[in-house]
Amino acid sequence: MQLEQRQTLERKAHWVRCKVLEMATHAKSGHISSAYSQTELLVALYQGRLMNYNSKNPRWEDRDRFILSKGQGGIGLYPILADVGYLPHSELDNFAGRDNLLGVHAEHHIPGMEIFSGSLGHGLPISTGFAQVGLLRKKDWLVICLLGDAELAEGSNWEAAMFAGSKRLSNLICIVDRNGAGVTGYTDRIEFPCDGPQLNPLDKKFEAFGFDVRTIDGHDFDQIFAALGDIRQRQGKKPLMIIANTHKGKGASIMEDKRLWHYRVPAGEDLAVTRADLGLKPLRTNKRALVDAEQGE
Amino acid sequence: MASTKFIFGMRDAFFSALYEIFKRDPETVFISADNGAPTLDQFYQNLPNQYFNVGIAEQQLIGMACGMALEGKKVYAYAIAPFITVRCYEQNKVDICAMNLPIVNVGVGAGYAYDIMGPTHHTVEDLTIMRALPNMTVHSPADSYCAEALAEISYRNPGPQYIRFDRAGVPEIYGDGRFNFADGVLLTRPGGSLALVATGIMVHQAIKIADELAKVGVQARVIDLCRIKPVNTERLFEYLKGAERVVTMEEHLLAGGLGGLMAEIFVDNDYRLPLLRIGQNDRYVFDNGGREVIWEKYGLDVRSMTDRILRWIK
Repeated sequence: MQLEQRQTLERKAHWVRCKVLEMATHAKSGHISSAYSQTELLVALYQGRLMNYNSKNPRWEDRDRFILSKGQGGIGLYPILADVGYLPHSELDNFAGRDNLLGVHAEHHIPGMEIFSGSLGHGLPISTGFAQVGLLRKKDWLVICLLGDAELAEGSNWEAAMFAGSKRLSNLICIVDRNGAGVTGYTDRIEFPCDGPQLNPLDKKFEAFGFDVRTIDGHDFDQIFAALGDIRQRQGKKPLMIIANTHKGKGASIMEDKRLWHYRVPAGEDLAVTRADLGLKPLRTNKRALVDAEQGE
Repeated sequence: MASTKFIFGMRDAFFSALYEIFKRDPETVFISADNGAPTLDQFYQNLPNQYFNVGIAEQQLIGMACGMALEGKKVYAYAIAPFITVRCYEQNKVDICAMNLPIVNVGVGAGYAYDIMGPTHHTVEDLTIMRALPNMTVHSPADSYCAEALAEISYRNPGPQYIRFDRAGVPEIYGDGRFNFADGVLLTRPGGSLALVATGIMVHQAIKIADELAKVGVQARVIDLCRIKPVNTERLFEYLKGAERVVTMEEHLLAGGLGGLMAEIFVDNDYRLPLLRIGQNDRYVFDNGGREVIWEKYGLDVRSMTDRILRWIK
C-alpha cells in the first residue's frame, strides 16, 4: 500500500469517528464503541475500494453484496455511505430523528443496505443464501459479511457456518470484528461472571467448519489490504473468514476496551475527553457543535 | 358429502403440483430442513439446482431463504410445522415478513397430527403466532384438492406465506371441482341456522358433527376457513347469512386461534351472534394412544363436540 493512500484512508477513518461522535451526541443514542472498532475495516472496503459497488446505482447487478450483520454498527457505516455518495450528508445531521432515514440499526430501505439488521445472528445465514445464488448463476460478485464477535454466541451463525463450509461457498467473505467485548462482558477473557462465552480458538473453530481463515490487526490498513487484496483471485473452494482483531471504542480513551461503553454516549467531562482524543476543539456551549474535521478528499 | 376414502396426502398433492411449477420456472427453489416426502425425491433428482437441504437447522433454513429471495428467487422452505414456526419465529419476523419477501413456509403436522410424538411435535399455536406477523398469509387446507390448488395460489402470491398441512392422507372433501380455493373460505356444506366454522382436520369433524346433528333434527352448515389470514370477510359473511349461532372448531389452542379470530372479526364488524369456541385449553398434551385418544380426552371427538353443541343451543 502506498503511503499516500494509507494516509488518505487514515484521514477518512478519523473523520468517520468524529462524525459518529457528533451523530451520537446529537441523538443521545448510538453504539459508538462498536462503530469505532469496525472503522478501518469499512473504510478499506468502501473508500479503499476493496469492494465493488456503485453508489449511484445501489442495486447494480454486479455489485458485491455487503451484509452488515452487526446492525448496531450502522452509525459507523452511515457517514461512509454519505462520503461515497449513497446518501446526502444532510441525512447524518438528524440521525435517528423524526422522518430521518437512518436509525440505530441499519435497515434494508437505506440505499446500499441489503438486509434488515438489528437482531444479531441473522447476517451469516442470509449471506449463505446470497452466496448460493451467486454460485448458481456463476456470477463474479462476492458476498462480504461483517460480523461482530459477540454475536457469534448466536447459534444461527454456526448453522450457517456449517452450511457454508460443507457446501463450499467460495464467494463468501466473512469478517469478524474481533473487539473482544459484548454488551456487559468480554469474549476473549474471563475476569468476572459477566464475561460471556469465550470464542478462542476462533480461527480453529472456523477452520474446522471448512473456512480458510486469516487473522489480522483490524485497525491496520496494510494488514487489511493484505488480507482482502486477493479475494477475487483466491484459489480453492472454501469460504474465507477474516478475524480482524480490533479494540472496542478504538481512538476514545474513556471507552477503549472498557466495559459499559457498548451503548453509552459520552457527556460532560467524558465528552470533553473524547473530543480531545479525536483532536476536536472543546465545545464552548451546551449547544451542538459541528464537527470541524475535514471530510477528506 | 360424508368424509370418505383415504387418498394421497395433502402434502404430497401440494408437492406434486409444485413440481410442475418448478419445472417451468427455474427461479423457484426448495429448501428443506432435512425433512422429506415421497414426492420430494423428484425435486433433487431432476432439479438439483433448485433443491437444498440445510440439515436440521431452521434458523439457517429461513436465513438462507431470505438471502435467496433477496436475489429474486421464489423460495419454498420446508420443515415439520412446529419447527418452521416456533423454532425460527424471529427469522420469520425479521428475515421474511419485515422485508416482505416471497418465501412460502411449508409446515407438515398441523395440530395433533404427530399425535404420539408429544408436545414438541404438536402444532397448536401456529395459527396464533403466524397470523400475528404483518405481511404473512396463512393457509390451513382441509384436503388434498385444496392443498393441490395452493401450489399455484402460493406461487402467484408475491408475499410471505405459511401453509400448514396435516400429516397423514386425509379424506377428500372437495373433489367435485366447484370450489374456489383462492377465496380462502369455502361453504363446504350449506345448511341451517347453525354454522360450524372449522379449519384443517376439524373440517372433517364438522362434517361428521353436521351429520350427527341432522339425526336429531338440527340442520348445520359447515364453513371451511382454509385461509386464516387475510380472512375474506366478505365471503365469510355471505356464507354466514341467515345463521343464528356460530361454533368454531379447531385442533389448536383457543388463545388467538380460529375461535379468537372469529371473535375479533365479529367485534370489529359489529356482528352479534352467539359464538361457541371449541378447541384446546391452555395445556400441553402428553397423552399417548393416538390422535383419537387426544380428541376423546379433550372433547374434540365427534361425540363430545356434538353433545356440547346440543347443550349449548338448548
